Amino acid sequence: MTTVSEPDTGQRQMLLDPGMDLTLRPMRYPQFFDRFKDAIKNTWTVEEVDLHSDLADLAKLSPAEQHLVSRLVAFFATGDTIVANNLVLNLYQHVNSPEGRLYLSRQLFEEAVHVQFYLNLLDTYVPDERERFAAFAAVENIPSIARKAEFCFKWIDSIFELRELRTRADRRAFLLNLICFAACIEGLFFYGAFAYVYFLRSRGLLHGLASGTNWVFRDESMHMAFAFDVVDTVRAEEPDLFDDEMRQQVRDMLAEAVECEVQFAADLLEQGVSGLSLADMREYLQHVADRRLAQLEIEPLYGSKNPFAFMELQDVQELSNFFERRVSAYQVGVSGTVAFDDDF
Amino acid sequence: MTVVREMAASGPAVSEQRRQVMQVRKRDGATEPVDVNKIVRAVERWVADLDEVDPLRVATKTISGLYDGATTAELDKLSIQTAAELIGEEPQYSKLAARLLAAYVDKEVRGQQVASFSQSIRYAHGLGLIGDATAAFVARNARKLDDAVDPDGDLRFEYFGLRTVADRYLLRHPQTRLVVETPQYWLLRVACGLSQTPGEAIGFYRLMSSLAYLPSSPTLFNSGTRHTQMSSCFLVDSPRDELDSIYERYHQVAKLSKFSGGIGISWSRVRGRGALIRGTNGRSNGIVPFLKTLDAGVAAVNQGGRRKGAACVYLEPWHPDIEEFLELRDNTGEESRRTHNLNLANWIPDEFMRRVEADGDWSLVDPSDAPELPDLFGEAFDEAYRAAEKKAVRTVKARDLYGRMMRTLAQTGNGWMTFKDAANRLSNQTGAPGNTIHLSNLCTEILEVNNDTETAVCNLGSVNLGAHVTADGVDWERLRATVRTAVVFLDRVIDINYYPAEQTAVSNPRWRPVGLGLMGLQDALFTLRLPFDSASARELSTRVQEEIFLTALETSAGLAERFGPHPAYAETRAAKGELHPDLWGAEVTQAQRWTALRERIGRHGLRNSLLVAIAPTATIASIAGCYECIEPQVSNLFKRETMSGEFLQINTYLVRELKARGLWTAPIREQIKRAEGSVQGIAELPAEVRELFRTAWELPQRALIDLAAARAPFIDQSQSLNLFLSAPTIGKLSSMYLYAWKAGLKTTYYLRSRPATRIQQATVTVTPAIKPVVAVSDDEALACSLENPESCEACQ
Repeated sequence: MTTVSEPDTGQRQMLLDPGMDLTLRPMRYPQFFDRFKDAIKNTWTVEEVDLHSDLADLAKLSPAEQHLVSRLVAFFATGDTIVANNLVLNLYQHVNSPEGRLYLSRQLFEEAVHVQFYLNLLDTYVPDERERFAAFAAVENIPSIARKAEFCFKWIDSIFELRELRTRADRRAFLLNLICFAACIEGLFFYGAFAYVYFLRSRGLLHGLASGTNWVFRDESMHMAFAFDVVDTVRAEEPDLFDDEMRQQVRDMLAEAVECEVQFAADLLEQGVSGLSLADMREYLQHVADRRLAQLEIEPLYGSKNPFAFMELQDVQELSNFFERRVSAYQVGVSGTVAFDDDF
Repeated sequence: MTVVREMAASGPAVSEQRRQVMQVRKRDGATEPVDVNKIVRAVERWVADLDEVDPLRVATKTISGLYDGATTAELDKLSIQTAAELIGEEPQYSKLAARLLAAYVDKEVRGQQVASFSQSIRYAHGLGLIGDATAAFVARNARKLDDAVDPDGDLRFEYFGLRTVADRYLLRHPQTRLVVETPQYWLLRVACGLSQTPGEAIGFYRLMSSLAYLPSSPTLFNSGTRHTQMSSCFLVDSPRDELDSIYERYHQVAKLSKFSGGIGISWSRVRGRGALIRGTNGRSNGIVPFLKTLDAGVAAVNQGGRRKGAACVYLEPWHPDIEEFLELRDNTGEESRRTHNLNLANWIPDEFMRRVEADGDWSLVDPSDAPELPDLFGEAFDEAYRAAEKKAVRTVKARDLYGRMMRTLAQTGNGWMTFKDAANRLSNQTGAPGNTIHLSNLCTEILEVNNDTETAVCNLGSVNLGAHVTADGVDWERLRATVRTAVVFLDRVIDINYYPAEQTAVSNPRWRPVGLGLMGLQDALFTLRLPFDSASARELSTRVQEEIFLTALETSAGLAERFGPHPAYAETRAAKGELHPDLWGAEVTQAQRWTALRERIGRHGLRNSLLVAIAPTATIASIAGCYECIEPQVSNLFKRETMSGEFLQINTYLVRELKARGLWTAPIREQIKRAEGSVQGIAELPAEVRELFRTAWELPQRALIDLAAARAPFIDQSQSLNLFLSAPTIGKLSSMYLYAWKAGLKTTYYLRSRPATRIQQATVTVTPAIKPVVAVSDDEALACSLENPESCEACQ
């Protein structure tokens, strides 16, 4: 593939704008369309998540664990909204592929479902109205969450003014934003949050939160994979955008994200939670950050290992008793017509 | 030695950035430094036969997860958890975690001044947990029973099994919630609750403690207690087509659900949407709003805090609301027409399948126009249905409706296909006119007659076949002994059982049905190295089933000789000399025994109208540490999710094989994890080994159906047969279920499939960035990603 150094010559269509490709045929990026179709097959709704046993569990938790949960849901209360905003304001307009935008539209829907899920969760978990409002205002009130939000806003603002990606600098700024949301926010902040949920889940606590989060996590995994797909595509089309400076910027960005998430962890775990030490949590976050860098083919920062065996449980297929849990494994889309000779 | 931990690491200055000696708080309130040696010693007590376990590793890993100022109880719990988390690397840690847990439970029981079985019963009786009869029985025989407790019994448990027992089965103090019995006391209590002599109790206890047989959960929960509801399944006939009857059914379902029963209920008699209501001259809203109410009622009843209630609704496909029925579990659409807590099953007459095959029309008939249809089967049904078609509300293409059924199965796993005519034609209970099986139960393995005033009941138990097999083959004598004991105690339940609703108390003593099942077929096949779809596997499974059924009949005939036949015996086919294999026209291999049996039955009848049913056994298989019922393994590596938490399950047969070949290495483990529990990509393994360790997703489903059909002549009720398709299509499903019907199966159970996308794996090595090549978009390839479906716990 030839290197295109001046993207605004308009000689060939590329994934990033300028340009607004509206035609789906011939399809330039069928892998995005496939991701779109796959996502539809995994549609879930908030009503399917059964929070009935969570309230009893909450009462059983130690004060330290209750603190952890309240901080966690406060983060969730606004986290997905931030991601959705960035998607609308910064990503959608610059992806010059109708099939790519189909996926982003679907992602936006999923973010909305996540927002609704956490809204429902907070309404259930925090019956006191004043406390509930405080939880939703976490971005302003709780310093450890405010610090993470600042980080996000900094990167949202970084390309907010860009109408088109004309220059090399514009395109790099866009990529950094995309990488930030994929690797740092969805790929680290959410992954950090999921670790707490899965810790509780491995102890048999808060099934409602865990099953909803499981579905959220499934969606987020796909969002991240799509974003990395976009990054890889741009990288193949415009390899010169990825130079040492860019690599260093990504490393710095991840280091800062790890810092943000560690100070959040220090807040969550400040009262001591058996089985989840801050030192282990830090190592886990560093490990995740290294993985994101590896996905981008960038040298790791920490060389840390995953200390949490319970995360391993998230990697293997689940078999739950329907008597106890509603399963999340069925496909929504199914095709074909009645036949009697198909192989099975 | 004291552990000094370097808490600081890179990153910002955070509060814990200082060296400190970790302290734990003891039960008396004093603190002491965490001592790694103490933990090592605690672990070493249990590892005599576990050569791969490293006590120091457990100790240091435990301390790493601890926080300063934790209690010693937290430390104990964390060490159990830590051991459990190492199972993925080395399955022996499962036994270690189980033993640490047993020690923890033991400490909790002894902390309440309970030092023996009889003390535990006396204590729990004082707390109002144990029934008077059992308390008196134990008091009378205290010495003998106390001596019978096997001190090594707990060594047999795997972690997941014992965790389940500890969290859900052991009796707890009503206020403190501390457990008041150890696992061995629990099994002995269950045995005492069903026994008349200490010798009998001890024999039954030993059988259960060996994990070679376990009764179903309601028996394990409630035997010996104040509420001895020990039945698993209830089959409630459809409400009559009137309001009072419908509300009576809600009440009955709630009562049955409260005491751990799983419920099947038909709704075929209730008129459909738009049918005239004479009393008010209005039009009916159909069955959906009523099922919505049932849904809420079922969810509201919590079975003793152990699990939510559960029910399955059966509907015949000629019902005018069938299409709306099939949408009840969809996750989109109007919420007021969705029932997320109900399971759904189609109760299908052969006529429907014939029209599907012939691409004919299918008439939807309102039950108020043809109220006789639910009570008819075979030719009588066919005739009545054809006559009723003149009054059809609507006509559809049979294939269109069948296609919708398949779609529901693919999308929800629900909408089980169960076959009315086979169920009735091949039943011992339908020997006299007027006796009809109207539905199956929550797990589709129970088929019993019922009616408006009689609700069918069944209590269950399952033989662990794995425990009766060595590499040399099946220990037939031991299998027979197990079955004989099992049938006697299943029969005993009928007399001791507490009946939560009068309709159940009427039917059960009349028919005395029991359901003896089987679990661990996959264990047996792994031990004997038989691929699941091999002819030898089919032969083994069939012979085992014949042996179980034959022995069960012999035992029931023996009980009839002592206590007389069950009161409805004259209405059964057996009374006319027709035994279940005769109904199938099946060949038997033990002709002499069958002949002798016929003579005995001819003289004294049978104590039980039905004897064998293969339930899903999800929970008791976990307790016994074997694979579920007759199912192939779902994965070589998977996790179970229950109310107790998440548990990694690994195929220990595979681990043994890999170890023997020097292949149990980190890279291979990662490869298996990445392949989601499949070993098909491990080139180092010979083809025949890979063939042996295929998962349910990798086996031809035809083989599962063939195995089921081959053993079916020796199952007088039915079997919970799950089918697995990772990427179902309507074409595959319609072919598969037509095949199942033609094979003569009475029922099928869940269709299991896999989600189309999955969570990114967090603990496998990152694959280098995917190059933006055009993705393969084969549906099959995309869909081979999973977490896995549920399985039924109702009828264990």
